[in-house]
Amino acid sequence: MPVVIGFEGSANKIGVGIIRDGEVLSNPRRTYITPPGQGFLPGETAKHHRGVILTVLQEALDEAGLKAADIDCVAYTKGPGMGAPLVTVAIVARTVAQLWGKPLLGVNHCIGHIEMGRLITNAQNPTVLYVSGGNTQVIAYSERRYRIFGETIDIAVGNCLDRLARVIKISNDPSPGYNIEQMAKKGNKYIELPYTVKGMDVSFSGILSYIEETLFAMLVEITERAMAHCGSQEVLIVGGVGCNLRLQEMMGVMCKERGARLFATDERFCIDNGVMIAQAGWEMFRSGHVTELSDSWITQRYRTDEVEVTWRD
Amino acid sequence: MPLSIRSLTKHVNMAACKTENGSERKLEFFLKVPFPSEREATIALQSLSPDPEPRKGGITKNLDLSGQTLRWTADEARILRVSVSSFLDHLSLVMETMDAFGPPVSQ
Repeated sequence: MPVVIGFEGSANKIGVGIIRDGEVLSNPRRTYITPPGQGFLPGETAKHHRGVILTVLQEALDEAGLKAADIDCVAYTKGPGMGAPLVTVAIVARTVAQLWGKPLLGVNHCIGHIEMGRLITNAQNPTVLYVSGGNTQVIAYSERRYRIFGETIDIAVGNCLDRLARVIKISNDPSPGYNIEQMAKKGNKYIELPYTVKGMDVSFSGILSYIEETLFAMLVEITERAMAHCGSQEVLIVGGVGCNLRLQEMMGVMCKERGARLFATDERFCIDNGVMIAQAGWEMFRSGHVTELSDSWITQRYRTDEVEVTWRD
Repeated sequence: MPLSIRSLTKHVNMAACKTENGSERKLEFFLKVPFPSEREATIALQSLSPDPEPRKGGITKNLDLSGQTLRWTADEARILRVSVSSFLDHLSLVMETMDAFGPPVSQ
């Protein structure tokens, strides 16, 4: 019954979570929120994380009712993400791993989202749509790899929405995407705008002023194409943009037409959090992975398919 | 024994000098960091050394445990300043973590 603690801070959220055999024991998180019209920069974000990480770590232990000795493994985000925040979090993870005498595990952030989604929803072998501020990928598992079937050829869909929010100065509290969604609910005029799908891939950079309908319809199309390729009857949406109910609704319509099932998680687990890193770490730890300190460097680029998924058949 | 960043800076020896190296002029910087124990020095070193410097070129940093002396060489003063400043921030974070979640378990 290994107990794994996970540290996540690759963008503007800093989270520490503890998991034991599929049970979430704690998952506290803080978000670095900038004023309307401003995005978050690496240096300031790292400074924010540095200021709260030890408090959040103590909260995670207290909420779980555990002491350091009860932890079996320390997992942290190796990448991808922003360099300075990644380093800040990795440094704390490496230090506590050594202080407590526990093994260390570097986790791929995207795989953290996938494994948390699988745990919470119990989807067996879904086509995964991973959509967030930093990533947009359609992923299917095959022979020990999370294969990237399709992705954005420029910016992530969440990045596109965040930039739109900045241009029209929507509040970043709790997140720009959430506030766009609330405003979009009140809209009733659909404007036809260019729709850019290239086979399995999508492009968002030319369409910053677009509304949700177009972006999400593009994502539904590429997810459907991947499902057709794999003969899949399940869709799992993960990543911060996955909180969006309109996206879930549109994906649901496509799934219903195909007789497939749709899975999604709520904001606790869609949005970056510590326990998803702990969960992916738990799977990796059980199947024998460990990260040596000298190999524990963080990396801003880390593709989902670089990891050998030894814990699945 | 906890080691705060304020008490650290009292003991730190810093020196910066320009050396001529053929036609290049490189900046050098030395920092000596005392730790309460060898074990804590090792923990700090292993937490701080794995990540590459953000800039691909222009700076080399050598962390050497035996003399507890760190040595930087850089082409530009600005790059040197950023790297040292970053390092001190990270070192301070390691020490705060050790204060809050230490002492290290016996091996």
